[in-house]
Amino acid sequence: MNLDRLDIAWLVLIGLALATIALPPLMPRPLLGNALLLALAALKGRRIALDFMDLRAAPAHWRGLVSAWILIVLLLAWLASAVVGLI
Amino acid sequence: MIWVLIFSELVAFGLFLGAFVVARAIHPALFAAGQAALNLDLAGLNTVVLVTSGWVAARATKAARASERRASRRWLLGAMALGGLFIAIKLAEYAEEIGRGVGLETSPFFTLYFLLTGFHLLHVGLGIIILAVVCRRAETVGVETGAAFWHMVDLVWIVMFPVLYLVR
Repeated sequence: MNLDRLDIAWLVLIGLALATIALPPLMPRPLLGNALLLALAALKGRRIALDFMDLRAAPAHWRGLVSAWILIVLLLAWLASAVVGLI
Repeated sequence: MIWVLIFSELVAFGLFLGAFVVARAIHPALFAAGQAALNLDLAGLNTVVLVTSGWVAARATKAARASERRASRRWLLGAMALGGLFIAIKLAEYAEEIGRGVGLETSPFFTLYFLLTGFHLLHVGLGIIILAVVCRRAETVGVETGAAFWHMVDLVWIVMFPVLYLVR
């Protein structure tokens, strides 16, 4: 059975999704746990953008905009949770 | 043109998610209580369903590019079926929550939760309609356009899921 790039991307995404669901009970410290959860989301988002949306072949500015969107939203989510954790 | 639409949608969802995380920073206890009442199992299952539908839509694009229209149609039908399954699971999740007395006005958490996930659910429905339209001819450009919108819906859920259900 030959797996191509799309199949590998799907398997990686399923693995990351299952890891995301399994992770929270194993992470007693929210600050680190949240960072890990959101990093997993960033990895999944990047896989979808590059392999499923095929942004590898798209103009660099579209690739940059989608990557920036993923990073900004997830970073904002982490910063907001970190602020609450530190107060 | 589709990329302009996709980026506009991403900006709208980004602003919505930004409002959610800022509101959570203002009301941490309220949001923690709301999050604890959500059904993580159904949402996790929906993540697997939507990721798989993204893979199926990507296969439809690959088949269309190889001029295999019949195969492309079959993959598109598969993506639409999985999209339908996502909607069914989400509606079951809503029904369970509403059955427990939770509603749009229960708390700021649930107002934003229902608006965000409802807005996303509308996009899943719209994505199925777009895939159905491009499925008729299964031409390369049409399938690429429909699949690109579908992947945007997938991407938004992948970011939304941990922010709403998991981040503490």
